[in-house]
Amino acid sequence: MTATDSTQEPLVAIAGAERSARRFWRPRLALLIKILSVLAFLALWTAATELGWVSPIFLPSPVAVARQADKLMHGGDLWDAILASSRRVFLGYAIAAGVAVPLGIVMGVWWPAKAVMDPFISLLRPLPSITWIPLSILWLGIGEGQKTMIVFMGTWIYILLYTVESTKRVDPLLIRAARNLGASDFAIMREVILPGALPGIISGLKVTLAISWSCVISAEMVAAQNGLGALVWFAKDWGNLALVLVGMVGISVTVLLADAVAERIEWLLLPWERHRRTST
Amino acid sequence: MPPVLSADRVTKDFAVGGRQRLLAIRDLSLSVHEGEFVCILGASGCGKSTLLNIFAGFLRPSSGRVLLRGEPILGIEPRCGVVFQSYALFPWKTVRGNVEFGLKMQGVAAGERRRRAEQFIELVKLNGFEDRYPGELSGGMQQRVSLARILAADPEVLLMDEPFGALDAMTRQVLQEELLRIHEHSRKTTLFITHNIDEALILADRIILMSARPGRVKAELCNTLPRPRHVDIQLSPDYARLKSTVWSHVQEELLLQSQGAVLVA
Repeated sequence: MTATDSTQEPLVAIAGAERSARRFWRPRLALLIKILSVLAFLALWTAATELGWVSPIFLPSPVAVARQADKLMHGGDLWDAILASSRRVFLGYAIAAGVAVPLGIVMGVWWPAKAVMDPFISLLRPLPSITWIPLSILWLGIGEGQKTMIVFMGTWIYILLYTVESTKRVDPLLIRAARNLGASDFAIMREVILPGALPGIISGLKVTLAISWSCVISAEMVAAQNGLGALVWFAKDWGNLALVLVGMVGISVTVLLADAVAERIEWLLLPWERHRRTST
Repeated sequence: MPPVLSADRVTKDFAVGGRQRLLAIRDLSLSVHEGEFVCILGASGCGKSTLLNIFAGFLRPSSGRVLLRGEPILGIEPRCGVVFQSYALFPWKTVRGNVEFGLKMQGVAAGERRRRAEQFIELVKLNGFEDRYPGELSGGMQQRVSLARILAADPEVLLMDEPFGALDAMTRQVLQEELLRIHEHSRKTTLFITHNIDEALILADRIILMSARPGRVKAELCNTLPRPRHVDIQLSPDYARLKSTVWSHVQEELLLQSQGAVLVA
């Protein structure tokens, strides 16, 4: 049945049945289309390289990339790179969250703290994290500390801004209700403001997680011996384009996995928001 | 015996942009006695919610004072428990967590808290929903939770701010019936705000009719309908008679208002 038919259908029951049929078929069909789309892309890519439309110097074939990936995984080099980058992200991001979340909550509930911080935030926020690379190298050399600092500088302000906003947005009616039920200032903080701000803080942390990956990759491209960013950069120097592509896919998959883990953590921490997600 | 709750020549005005001030309530005095169920009936914008917010201590009067058992209310007063129109439940707490909240704030031990919460959840007929979150419940059920939450905290006075205003007519009637039953049990002193004449007649011992802005007491009526009462009291001739009395007051008020509007224009 076509879409125009369903909009003209006056019977609710039939429209409902049609909708549930659509709900059954559409995701399956969409999945099929996605698979076909990827296969078509790979076929086109293979054709382009095998038939000599483009030189392998500019674009290696998918088979070459797969072979390269296999080699890298067997040698353990890929895992080492992923591990090195993940460790830097985790450390810088954890320190940023550890500093910015508490600070943001204080700024959200106590305006003088916000007034103290505001000018610095306005100045620091527009700076891309890579602009910190020269200073960070001067201060910390090119070791782990420097990479961690780049991740920290690139993320803490976003975490801070999300935290301040979510803290300020906690429904004042709930604070009123809690006071009416006898809550002290401390209890308001623990029972109302923190849980009320938590969903906003977590979604801020999720957005920032992706940013922290781009920070670490750019830091590794400039100065690092290992990690995914360094892998891609060295591969370019060696003229190994297949390795560049493997590195890029590796970055993409790693960030996707990190996102999935973050989703799962969010689901665990916010049980009261679950029904909203399943219903939409 | 002195009244439980009273307002003594309360005036409240608000700043509305620039130097203009809006007079919400003028020289309003009223009192509510032990165990009494008083409805404040008034059109929207007559300042009835402002009055309730003053009793709860959320707002301070511009002049005059409000008293709880003869002592002025100077801050947010947990002895005057509020039921809000928009429920104001904590979305991150389960039904049980919400109902236990007041007890937790009073320092009641966890086991005792749970037992008492259980009792009030049963009173509002929400057994089986203890572990649900407010977002999973209908509006009517959420207002039941809010009622259980405040009753569990056991305040001296219940302040209800159009609690059923956001509900559909049928759910509203069911909850009115529940409230009649609960009040029969607890006999808790209650000040109930509504703009619904039927609601006031079904629930109240006494109806205070408020005039439109600035809010003043226009009339007071004793609701002589017998208790225990049920929502089907609406079918009785006495009810009809009382309703026509209330209605004539309301009409008079509306007429004055529209004339006022003409004069202003």
